Amino acid sequence: MGFLVSFSFFFLAMVINQSTVVGQTTAESVIEFPKNDIRDIREVITRNTTLSSQMAVKNDILVISLSRKNAVVWYDPPQIENNHTVIKNISYNNGVTEFNENWTAL
Amino acid sequence: MTNTDGQLYTIEGFAAALIMIATAYLVVNATSIYTAGDTHISDMQLEALGTDALKVMNIPVSKDEPSMMQEIIKATPSSGGNNLEFGTNFSYLINNKTGQNSDHIQFSATYTCRNSDNSTASIPLSYSRNLSGGEHAVRVTKWVTVNKGGVAFCGTTNTERAVLVEVLMWRD
Repeated sequence: MGFLVSFSFFFLAMVINQSTVVGQTTAESVIEFPKNDIRDIREVITRNTTLSSQMAVKNDILVISLSRKNAVVWYDPPQIENNHTVIKNISYNNGVTEFNENWTAL
Repeated sequence: MTNTDGQLYTIEGFAAALIMIATAYLVVNATSIYTAGDTHISDMQLEALGTDALKVMNIPVSKDEPSMMQEIIKATPSSGGNNLEFGTNFSYLINNKTGQNSDHIQFSATYTCRNSDNSTASIPLSYSRNLSGGEHAVRVTKWVTVNKGGVAFCGTTNTERAVLVEVLMWRD
């Protein structure tokens, strides 16, 4: 009887012991997800659709993203479809995470 | 008279004792000690604080007005400087704590420009302390679009340009 009870204690202790490692690795993968980078890129791309210097801003974003943020960014020039501004093929890739979106203005 | 019943009993006792010792070891080993390998936890907290502060500074009061960050970059000369408005506002946002005392997070801010030959240049924007190289710092960034009108900016004039504001933050 004591033998069987000790087996159950052992199993519970094993579960609690491994939970630390599981929690840490899960938290690490959440931390390295570039949520703020992607939101920031989306904001600067979609907020500036009426600029006159689209090419200069686009080259700024592409070159600085690659050299300073180690991320490949792309987006098609803004177009008008059905009276909405549309930016197709917004892409972000930092080597670990990829993000793709076709954006339509409200 | 004599038989072997006790042997099984003894072995069972030994096995149960060993399992209990292994269990006790696992329980004690489950405590996690904060080591140098766990610094990503506090680093992430510092990064979240910095990106929030930068985002707040880049929100305009109304739709057609420039944001505080755009005005700061407009006011900073092309050779760089130590912008007081950025320093006080950013420091207030990141060091504000509930209660009387404030935190001591230091920062060093630059913004990155793209030149006409597609190279990048970093221009100093503001700093609370000079970097000595021994700080454990995290980097937070924010995209800002700025048009400086007739003043040359990143090699062009009268053109809206996108620059990346980068801030290194560390705890004292």
